[in-house]
Amino acid sequence: MNWVYVVVAMLPENFVLTGILALVACEAAGPLRRQTAMAISLLAVGLAAAAALWLAVSGYELAAFNGHYSVDPTSQIAKAIVLGLALPTVLVAGRETAERGFSVLLLSSLYGACLLLSSDSFLTLFLGLELMSLPVYALILVAFNRAESAEGALKYLVLGGTATATLPMGVSLLYGWSDSVALSAFAEAVRSTDTIAVAGVVLVLLAFLLKAAVVPFHTWAPDAYEGATMPVTAYMATIVKAAVLLAAVRLFGAAPVGRPLADVLAILPLASIVWGNLTAMRQTSFRRMIGYSSIAHAGYLFYAFLGEGRFQAVAFYVLAYGLMNLLAFASLPRTADGVPEDRLDELRGLFRRQPYAALAVGVAMLSLAGIPPLPGFVAKFLIFKNVFAAGFTIYAVLGLVGSYLGIYFYLRVIQYLFMSPESADEAAVRAPARLALGASLICLLVAVLIGVFPGWVIERL
Amino acid sequence: MADSGILNVVLYLPVLAIAAIVALPARREDLVRAVTLLAMLAQLALTALLYLRFDPAFDGLQFETRLPWIVSWGVYYQIGLDGYNLLLVLLTAFLGPLVVAGAFTAIQKDVKLFYAMICALQFAMMGTFVAQDLFLFYLFWETMLIPLFLIIGIWGGERRIYATLKFVLYTAFGSILMLAAVIYFVYSLETTTGITSFAFADLYHAQLPLNVQTILLAAFALSFAIKVPIVPLHTWLPDAHVEAPTAGSVILAGVLLKMGTYGFMKLAFPLFPDAARLLAPIFGTLAVVSIIYGACLALVQTDIKKVIAYSSISHLGYVMLGLVSLDLIGVQGAVMQMVSHGLVAGGLFLMVGMIYERCHTRELSAYGGLAKLLPLYSVFFGLLTLAAIGLPTTSGFTGEFLVLLGAFRAAWPQYVAGAGYPLFLSASAVAGVVLGALYMLWFAQRFLFGGAKAPHQPLVDLNLREKVILAAIMAAVFALGLFPDEPLHKTELAARQYRELVAAAPRGAPAARKSDATVAAAAEAAASPSASGEAR
Repeated sequence: MNWVYVVVAMLPENFVLTGILALVACEAAGPLRRQTAMAISLLAVGLAAAAALWLAVSGYELAAFNGHYSVDPTSQIAKAIVLGLALPTVLVAGRETAERGFSVLLLSSLYGACLLLSSDSFLTLFLGLELMSLPVYALILVAFNRAESAEGALKYLVLGGTATATLPMGVSLLYGWSDSVALSAFAEAVRSTDTIAVAGVVLVLLAFLLKAAVVPFHTWAPDAYEGATMPVTAYMATIVKAAVLLAAVRLFGAAPVGRPLADVLAILPLASIVWGNLTAMRQTSFRRMIGYSSIAHAGYLFYAFLGEGRFQAVAFYVLAYGLMNLLAFASLPRTADGVPEDRLDELRGLFRRQPYAALAVGVAMLSLAGIPPLPGFVAKFLIFKNVFAAGFTIYAVLGLVGSYLGIYFYLRVIQYLFMSPESADEAAVRAPARLALGASLICLLVAVLIGVFPGWVIERL
Repeated sequence: MADSGILNVVLYLPVLAIAAIVALPARREDLVRAVTLLAMLAQLALTALLYLRFDPAFDGLQFETRLPWIVSWGVYYQIGLDGYNLLLVLLTAFLGPLVVAGAFTAIQKDVKLFYAMICALQFAMMGTFVAQDLFLFYLFWETMLIPLFLIIGIWGGERRIYATLKFVLYTAFGSILMLAAVIYFVYSLETTTGITSFAFADLYHAQLPLNVQTILLAAFALSFAIKVPIVPLHTWLPDAHVEAPTAGSVILAGVLLKMGTYGFMKLAFPLFPDAARLLAPIFGTLAVVSIIYGACLALVQTDIKKVIAYSSISHLGYVMLGLVSLDLIGVQGAVMQMVSHGLVAGGLFLMVGMIYERCHTRELSAYGGLAKLLPLYSVFFGLLTLAAIGLPTTSGFTGEFLVLLGAFRAAWPQYVAGAGYPLFLSASAVAGVVLGALYMLWFAQRFLFGGAKAPHQPLVDLNLREKVILAAIMAAVFALGLFPDEPLHKTELAARQYRELVAAAPRGAPAARKSDATVAAAAEAAASPSASGEAR
């Protein structure tokens, strides 16, 4: 095998890696300026996303490193989505990019995500998953001047550590059962009724449910989301979630899910949907609300595993969901000290002061609620269509009814934005930073395009 | 081809208007109003053109556009006019400029957003009516919620937040179950026939077992019944009507409620005909209960808007009764009643808005003897009251009379054959007419006559803008009352098709599926009791 092919196959990873090295070099040379950090991060992520897209379009396929790593159009599309969503995240971060290794941590985490999405064996899968998660623990602490952030980071670390423990445990069981660490062993084990295999599947699945914050493994999410700074919350809610789910799709492959496992894969997500949506109603912090909403969305996403066409459904969903979350985070107004506003109360009457921000957040909320004609609706439709087609009618209906529960709290945000009288200290709320506005415009534009031509996107996934 | 282009222009004109409104500076509120009004007038003119060009003898969609949209799901962007939606599209386009003009002085807050939302609502309503693909229909159906949520929530009365959340949560609950039914329906069709299509025309050919049909009909019916609304799912309506600004009330009563009955006529009943016939007595009962219950509640209201809100429930009960009668005359009456109610209730809500702008209260007891204070206003109000009662020469008469005639024509043979219940229902519906006269006349008596009193005197009578609005509505009301033949002619084919689709022999029967001729024959046979006197 020619090493050039491997370098080309790993172009997205290589661009991210180059970015990390460049950032470290700059930091070594002197204090990192905000513009430099931002430029390097944007360039690295942008080039990596473009490379992934190019590899996907050109149909590049390669299996490297003795079956531990492979590249095919599907995995490249997944990487392109994850990296593409990272672009607005970097823009939202704005001046934070230069702080305390933020950019390096972010890019390292993205490197892990890319590795995860190309992994072909449990070794690379584990490596990717941890490389993606570890920097996030640190990223939450970037805002360590607040007490909640330490609490959130610790919770995330402990529970994430549990996932780190159960995954190798499950893998070792699967290895003992099949004598292989290849991902295909998982798909085989899903079909098997052997106790060892089932135990292995459950333990591996547990790790993914934990990372994706599915009830009852969700408790870390709201705290971590609230403790982190806004860009890190956006990163966790969109990119980490997208990467975990897309990796789970890679793990399951096209293996049909049998009955006992299917029930687990329906009941836990259903509980997630219902619990996430119900609890979100009572939140007063925007980030906590998004945290609970992301628990519900993890539920919808895991529903996709009941049916066929999983990659298409999950990829489209995380794209629509990620764009909308980023749109909301990017458009949020800032408080007097420049931090994006977090208290829902403070959003009262925002439309009168900042019409664009209010409209953008409103659009994001409606799309997350799955109200047409926004892309969130088509994404939800696609998942539930597959669940119906697979014959899980009752679960599908229950899931849809569960999604109904979510409408209220999204509408409540819109009620605050448009219908409530303005909040008392109106001077405290300022317009979002220019870069963040740019990010929100990009998200809005892409979302509108996906909303108008969903077929075009779906057929290319 | 050119004509199908016109329909697309009609549909997308409000979207263009939104773009123009957004581009206008916020200070130029007069310009925003003018642009919206112009767009609506242009839409009305083009819709009228389409109406004139509509060929009543042509079987199928006219001015059709069909483009692939989400091909792998079998979803097409398909719109067109037929006898089902023709009059409702015209009604929507007709009320559009009136709503916009009616809000000129009433809306002073967030003017840009208001007119943008009115345009968005107009777009979604038009889309719901012209969509010929179930996915597209659902998309527009749900889209409607957002602008109305904002219209009631921002420009509504004191309890607007409660009312608008109640409205959205009610309708969204129905919609989510309908969505489940839509997906299940289309993909169970895919597994049985191998065809994946959301096109109405294809879905009519579905052959589902009765139990599946019943469940799916229940889900669709729940969604549509909430919108109509049919008692006992009506409780959102009075709140929404009372709290909504005039424009919202007019659109709610004028167009939105018809979405529900249109859904029953175009989708729920024809898609699941066996279940529809099985459940017809239930729907008939609920229709009559709505007629009488709505009328009784209208009788005791002290809020002017609530009187009209409850009368809407009563009037839409007739539409449902006409639809379930499965009699050609009854179905045509239902169509007429939809349009008539849109005009009359829309007009009454506009008039309530006009008096509210002058006096700032909707308490009925605060008013009296308006005939002396506002003579011209009272003339229009009196005429609309008579139309609401269904006096001959008004559109209300055409609708109610045809519905009752159809209901009796369908019920009598059944009574002769030993089933007395349909006749009982029809007779009870007549009681609704009496109650209708009672509450409307009593309302008009307290409102218009007696000792002259009104807050904020002296009152100024109608200005030119208001005169034009009301004159347009009255002209339409009398046109439908005096010359019902023309619109009835245009929609007759659709009414026949509806009856054939619903009244046809069970779809499962293989003999009835061989060709269209046998289907039609089976339909005639099944409906033979009422087919005898169909000459119009």
